[in-house]
Amino acid sequence: MRRFTLRDSIAATVLAALALAAMPWLMSDFALALTLTCLMYAGLAVSWAMFCGATNCLSLATAAFFGMGAYVTAWGIGTLAYGLGVLLGGLAAAAFAALVGAAVLHLRGAYFAVITFGLGELVRHAITYYEKAYAGTVGRVISEPPETVTIYHVVLLVSALAVVTALVVRASRLGLALRGIGSDEERARTLGVETRRAKILAFSLSAFFPGALGAAMAVRWTYIDPLSVFNPFIGFQTVLIAMVGGAHTILGPIASSVLFSVLTEYLRLQFPYLFLVILGLLLILLVLYLPGGLASLLERWRWGKSRA
Amino acid sequence: MAFWFELVATGLITGGIYALVALGLNLQYGLMRIMNISHGEFLMLGAYLTWLGHTVLQVNPIVFLPVVALALFTLGVAVYWLCFRRIIRTAPAVEMIEARSLLVGFGLMFLLQNAAYLAWGADLRGYSFLAEAVDVGGARFQANRLVVFAFAVGASLALLAVLRWTLIGKAVRAMMQSPTGAQLVGIDTRYLHPVVFGLGLAMAGVAGALLSMVYEISPGMGEPYTVTALIVIVLGGLGSALGSLLGGFLLGLVETFGMHYTSPSLKMLLSYAVLIGVLLARPKGLFAR
Amino acid sequence: MREPLLAAQGVSVRFGGLVAVDAVDLAVHAGELVGVIGPNGAGKTTFFHALSGVLVPTSGCIVIVGDDLTGEGAHAFARHGIARTFQTPRVFKEMPAIDNVRFGLEFAGRTRSHAHDAFDEPGTILEFLGLADVAAVPAGGLTPSKQRLLEIGMALGARPRVLLLDEVAAGLTHAEVELTAQLIRRVRDELGLAVIWIEHAVRVLMDYVERVAVLHQGRKIADGDPRAVAKDAGVIEAYLGEQGEPVTEPGRKAA
Repeated sequence: MRRFTLRDSIAATVLAALALAAMPWLMSDFALALTLTCLMYAGLAVSWAMFCGATNCLSLATAAFFGMGAYVTAWGIGTLAYGLGVLLGGLAAAAFAALVGAAVLHLRGAYFAVITFGLGELVRHAITYYEKAYAGTVGRVISEPPETVTIYHVVLLVSALAVVTALVVRASRLGLALRGIGSDEERARTLGVETRRAKILAFSLSAFFPGALGAAMAVRWTYIDPLSVFNPFIGFQTVLIAMVGGAHTILGPIASSVLFSVLTEYLRLQFPYLFLVILGLLLILLVLYLPGGLASLLERWRWGKSRA
Repeated sequence: MAFWFELVATGLITGGIYALVALGLNLQYGLMRIMNISHGEFLMLGAYLTWLGHTVLQVNPIVFLPVVALALFTLGVAVYWLCFRRIIRTAPAVEMIEARSLLVGFGLMFLLQNAAYLAWGADLRGYSFLAEAVDVGGARFQANRLVVFAFAVGASLALLAVLRWTLIGKAVRAMMQSPTGAQLVGIDTRYLHPVVFGLGLAMAGVAGALLSMVYEISPGMGEPYTVTALIVIVLGGLGSALGSLLGGFLLGLVETFGMHYTSPSLKMLLSYAVLIGVLLARPKGLFAR
Repeated sequence: MREPLLAAQGVSVRFGGLVAVDAVDLAVHAGELVGVIGPNGAGKTTFFHALSGVLVPTSGCIVIVGDDLTGEGAHAFARHGIARTFQTPRVFKEMPAIDNVRFGLEFAGRTRSHAHDAFDEPGTILEFLGLADVAAVPAGGLTPSKQRLLEIGMALGARPRVLLLDEVAAGLTHAEVELTAQLIRRVRDELGLAVIWIEHAVRVLMDYVERVAVLHQGRKIADGDPRAVAKDAGVIEAYLGEQGEPVTEPGRKAA
């Protein structure tokens, strides 16, 4: 069997994106909304795995990037074109990640997880304080949101870009450097990788997508406040989806984001508490008995076939 | 003068609870690299147990403390055997233990918090206990706060004493430095790990029981305490018990003074600013040499 | 006189009150094969950490072909042509063996060319080491002795001018040690590298190197021809202090 090359994978992504682009005219509103959620989580999870899956750094900063993007939209709506807001949201998150990354990326393990979580909360509390003190409100109303079809296409574009970027990074020297860092950072350094620069670059690149997605999705809410867009649940859910899917792969997080979005849509509304109890249990079982994620099932199956 | 005294005392009372919560979590992390993000949920369980004991069984919350501690200890041993034992055995590297235990912690958090919502609903619950004011050195405090402070500090000091002077404590401290350390003192980690994990949860349970005497409780009450405990641990240094105690008091004081001079809505902002400042300036903790 | 490839000048490393390496000078020229020996705790590995930029010396400096790199990160040392192995093999366990070798080529190795054109291919390096048949196996699945070889391959991928080997013979069988020693010689002869080779068990090393430096309690107490060093009173005394392997006369291969 021939292995997929980078070009094959990119072509497959583009084809899939084109097929998905036609959905607004083929699907019901409900199915479209569900697909939109899938796309958002796929973009978030793939971009998270791009950095964290390779380097084994556990970042909980997704909510921070997402919220920053959302606030770019909230502040800019009416004066900024929607597409431009999305771009700026992504750039703001990427710049923030580069700045913060320069300061905290030397930390590892639990330290890194805690500080990235703390950063999100810090930004959230800072914005809450700023809005209360200077804007006199806690939340903002989104007036004149763009059409659902437009939002859908923008989110699709950002998520497809995230997948293509992840594919390119994985095949590049940067990807090799990140895998080396994940395996043994000091060893990577002794072989000539400037690990600090590689990590900041990748962290910043992976932050662009949650920022852009936050800006794109913000208009779906009619009312934005810090608690809803900086919701740590967005960050946790992203990490969960990526790890359940298999954070060292690209297809795994995509597959599990579909799974999670569908589960969430059907169960969460009907049995909100029970759903989360089951989600918790499922997560524990997955980590204990399938630590490589869903992707490892596929790998095991392939391995079995190639040996037979 | 009295005003200053009151402010410092309030800070120390808050800090005592923080220290107690952080100590348990830090012990688990220092020994086993388990970053138990559901620590606050076990605190919540301790609080609900005490509330049930008071309202259903009519037991004095202070008398009920040992029961809560024992219940949470047993639960901790069970949780360790069911979840974390396998992670520690199968993870290929320390970083994977941290990552996987964090995820299992999230799972436990979802599970326990929402099970509590199912069982007891989202309403705030509470009971009145020693709510009358007492005069101490010219400042007035609710008696229950003083009780909470005494027990929080007492339990923390007891744990420090155990760590310092008993064989198991010495083994734990040796293990935090090197995994072979415990074997040198002849302690089997198969028993040490679950015991220490249970001890950590017992601490959280006691903290929850104490909090229920002062504040109203809800299924979501634990989460902020987990975050605060993480901050305290970073302040005091990962794996340092004394650091957690001092860090707890420090954070309590910083919050109390900060809130007094700025605004209560800045409480979390202050905590996080302290956390990030410390992490950047002294990643090994404030008290590291 | 030619400029040395790697020169340590008065390098000291202190940890708190402990002096691990004490004002050591060492200059290595192209084509040299230098052994560094010393009893346990002599500071050999710490000295290597300083030479490879893994650790910044407390005082003294490290000059690589005229450039003072003291205080720079390990990646700068690697790009200047210093490649090393570690005492316990540190391969990228999840990556296939061939990617481990490719790693050095892609990063440190890009800045310079090899003396040997054939060594620009990870496959050739694996073949040279006799690891061609395990190219696709994840490095973590290799036997410890193959991981040691692979680590040398990773270092060679970085196209070094100076190769630092930290106890590459530890834990190998006697036959494997001989093979490794011959391999080190071939690397030096065919690629014209300078090699510094640390070993705790010194027997084989003394047979293969032309020059040996002895560290004892952080200080360099001898440096020169192995035959002369083996007779040095200070060296004998340093080794007598510890039980175990004494310095043997070179030229007499243990059976």
